[in-house]
Amino acid sequence: MNILWETVTSSFASFIHAVRPEHLTKTVRYRSKRMILDSIGVGLMGSTTPVFDIALQYCRLYSSVAVSSVYGRPGMKLSPTLAAFTNGVATHSMDFDDTWHPATHPSGAVLPALLAASQMLPPSTKPNGLDFLLAFNVGLEVQGRDFHWLTWLFHAHTCTFPLRFHPPSVVGTMGSAAATAKLLSLSMTQCAHALGIAASLAGAPMANAATQAKPLHIGNATRLGFEAALLAARGMEANPVILDDIPGCSGFSAFYSVYQPKPLSTPSDHHEFLLEKQDIAFKRFPAHLGMHWVVDAALSVRNLFINYAGSFSPSLIRTIVLKIPVSKYINRPFPSSEHQARHSFQFNACTALLDGEVGLSSFTESSIHRQELRELLDKVVVEHPEDNVANFDKMYGEVALLLHSGDVLTGKCDTFYGHWRKPLSRESLLKKFRSNASHVLPEEKVETIITMVDNLENMSDSSQLACSL
Amino acid sequence: MILDTLGVGLLGTSTEVYHKVKQYSKIYSSDISSTIWGHLDFRLPPLYAAFVNGVAVHSMDFDDTWHPATHPSGAVLPAVIALSEAFPQKKKISGLDLLLAFNVGIEVQGRLLRFSNEARNIPKRFHPPTVVGTIGSAAACAKLLALDRVKCKNALAIAASYAGAPLANAATQTKPLHIGNAAKHGLEAACLASQDLQGNKQILDMESGMGAFYTDYSPQSLPTLQSYAWLLDQQDVAIKRFPAHLGTHWVADAASAVRRKLVESSDNLLPLDKIEKVIVKVPEVKYVNRPNPNSEHEARHSFQFVACSALLDGSMSVQSFASENIQRPALRELLCKTQLQHPADNKPSFESLYCEVTVVLQDGNTISDRCDTFYGHWRKPLKKEDLEKKFQSNASEVLPAEATEGIIETVYNLEKVKDCSILSKFLSGQSARALSEKLRLL
Repeated sequence: MNILWETVTSSFASFIHAVRPEHLTKTVRYRSKRMILDSIGVGLMGSTTPVFDIALQYCRLYSSVAVSSVYGRPGMKLSPTLAAFTNGVATHSMDFDDTWHPATHPSGAVLPALLAASQMLPPSTKPNGLDFLLAFNVGLEVQGRDFHWLTWLFHAHTCTFPLRFHPPSVVGTMGSAAATAKLLSLSMTQCAHALGIAASLAGAPMANAATQAKPLHIGNATRLGFEAALLAARGMEANPVILDDIPGCSGFSAFYSVYQPKPLSTPSDHHEFLLEKQDIAFKRFPAHLGMHWVVDAALSVRNLFINYAGSFSPSLIRTIVLKIPVSKYINRPFPSSEHQARHSFQFNACTALLDGEVGLSSFTESSIHRQELRELLDKVVVEHPEDNVANFDKMYGEVALLLHSGDVLTGKCDTFYGHWRKPLSRESLLKKFRSNASHVLPEEKVETIITMVDNLENMSDSSQLACSL
Repeated sequence: MILDTLGVGLLGTSTEVYHKVKQYSKIYSSDISSTIWGHLDFRLPPLYAAFVNGVAVHSMDFDDTWHPATHPSGAVLPAVIALSEAFPQKKKISGLDLLLAFNVGIEVQGRLLRFSNEARNIPKRFHPPTVVGTIGSAAACAKLLALDRVKCKNALAIAASYAGAPLANAATQTKPLHIGNAAKHGLEAACLASQDLQGNKQILDMESGMGAFYTDYSPQSLPTLQSYAWLLDQQDVAIKRFPAHLGTHWVADAASAVRRKLVESSDNLLPLDKIEKVIVKVPEVKYVNRPNPNSEHEARHSFQFVACSALLDGSMSVQSFASENIQRPALRELLCKTQLQHPADNKPSFESLYCEVTVVLQDGNTISDRCDTFYGHWRKPLKKEDLEKKFQSNASEVLPAEATEGIIETVYNLEKVKDCSILSKFLSGQSARALSEKLRLL
């Protein structure tokens, strides 16, 4: 039976409030636990970055009710929303975190808030692992739904890469509010108000992508959504129809150019989580998702080239042609900072060609400014074939080497390894996690976290996860 | 502007929304450098002091309004005052430093608003204080922190990533948080910048930067400092006489005038039951069009409510929005007879709008009045006595007389004050007598 909801907003509030662990399917549990593991690893790795340091030093000024753990700083605690902020910044600091379709970084906006919140609750009401997993999935679902309304309006040839607002700062904040509202067991009305308050904390412009400030987008999404839930828990009220279309006075629609929201079905109506239909992409190296296509294409043409010439000899190359979709913020011919390098098709293609791989060390100052790399970058021209849409579901990457001899070698990638169509195997996911986590944690702790996440549904006290970081 | 904002903020500490954010912020009360206006009993770190005091300022929609439309002072003053208290003992901030930083914050907001034509009208999408107010706060705090040019730029860039809240939360309890958050996040951006966090160096230039908040965005460089023309010089603010959306101030003046005429022609009694219709001609502003407001927040954003309230009482005050008054039967009855009209020549801009109130009696007679410029608007600014009267009436709700006198004197002589922490001490209600004597010796 389909209940006719008065408003879109109330359908969301009801979903958040009424959904139960039983509604989670096996696939959803499986995929979301992988996301949790990857997100923790990426966050731990991120705790070694300068942007994280700045955020941490800043937050320590306010560390009163210091109950929540900080990635990579065993023993240090901060107040819950600031711990969420700091860990969110860590998660996105290297652009190494997961990506969904439609484009956003879902886990970083939700997990840090839940970890911090779980440590905030008194011992008698600690959420168990299943509650935690459910809250996490509520946060994902709300983000996906907020975005889903947009996709079905566009047909294949329309660009869906963000132009104005960085999606995590829009939908991520709402997701965090929803997830923490769920964990804190807010009433249905309070859930609605949490969303309303969160909307007034959402939205950061794209221009700060590819700068050191970008990680703050995820940090603030998770923190401010959490704050919204805490305020709603204390009775703060907002517009009860914030997600609905309100002509002449924008609600959540303020962040979109075309907005057609739809109500969420109630969990009892066999609600299908979006994660069931649409999996996540995990990154193999810390750069914007789009880079992963050109890197795989570059690696394949590199192999061809080595077979052809015996070794990788740049002097034989006249031009490097990159066939990529149109997207200004990731088209950078000569990036000068790590943040820019992570958002540069040209840089990632050339690094892959030169080194045969792209990894953490590809983005250090010395790697970025190497002479050999600069020389290769000089040879790059970019083309935007019409059929290459700026959309993580449909785009491809093609790298062609035009040699002085007149020969042309090409590599193309439609689906990189790690994309949802070709998901990372368990071994690859664990390899990435261990490599990241072991930068800051000893081996036993690393293995403990893996075991905990694997058995999340059976944990009686989910704050143990946060305590183990 | 500073005086009015302080008074409005002090009064705001009596509101429900303020109470909730105060409870929330107390979670974070570690570093306790900064004053919570009207409170001697606890202090907060600068970030949360800015937040809480900012919420207080906007809690009743009683704070100043500018053209193009925004509430400039509330986004800046709480942040700079809170920040001024966080400096180490030996580094005193003078009244002149504070005044300059404040004006930097105001100027930046005004300049940003002029980068878009859309901004000239009453907003529809984003609530302006959350867009320009956040940047203004960052600029003011960067000034107070004496950041170098590069860091100032980064402060603006970081602040942009906190900016922008949708208008739909206006007329709800969340709206005051817009100003609180603008102040708080601007301060945070400046602090992060001072620790060398970097953002997009062209944040104000790019369409995907500040341009994200506007459909038409044309930024321009600021003129050089040689004989700089401050916007506040050319365009003053409006100070509100009662706590409601600025648009309702025209309505109140027109309705009060109609009431006077009505009463004169009816033996000094208001002929309520002889009123057939009330027609209120205003521009089309959806979020202030509420025929049946139920909460104080809705009532403050209702042309209809203010028209009826002013007709009944002859004037508007803080009390007009008490729940007994919102719910009184005579008012509800009058509301049922009230309708809005939107003449084509009545533009939704605080510079040019007007209001015409017409009461149609059962015998067919009509009584009308029109207000083009209400008292308090920048074209007809409040006189000194009336500004002070508003301040005293607000501030005395929470502070003793010596403190309120002390604040007036300090603000009027701000340029000469050597250590602006005296302002904060008055604001917290601290042993006012000793302090006011200290002030006289300056």
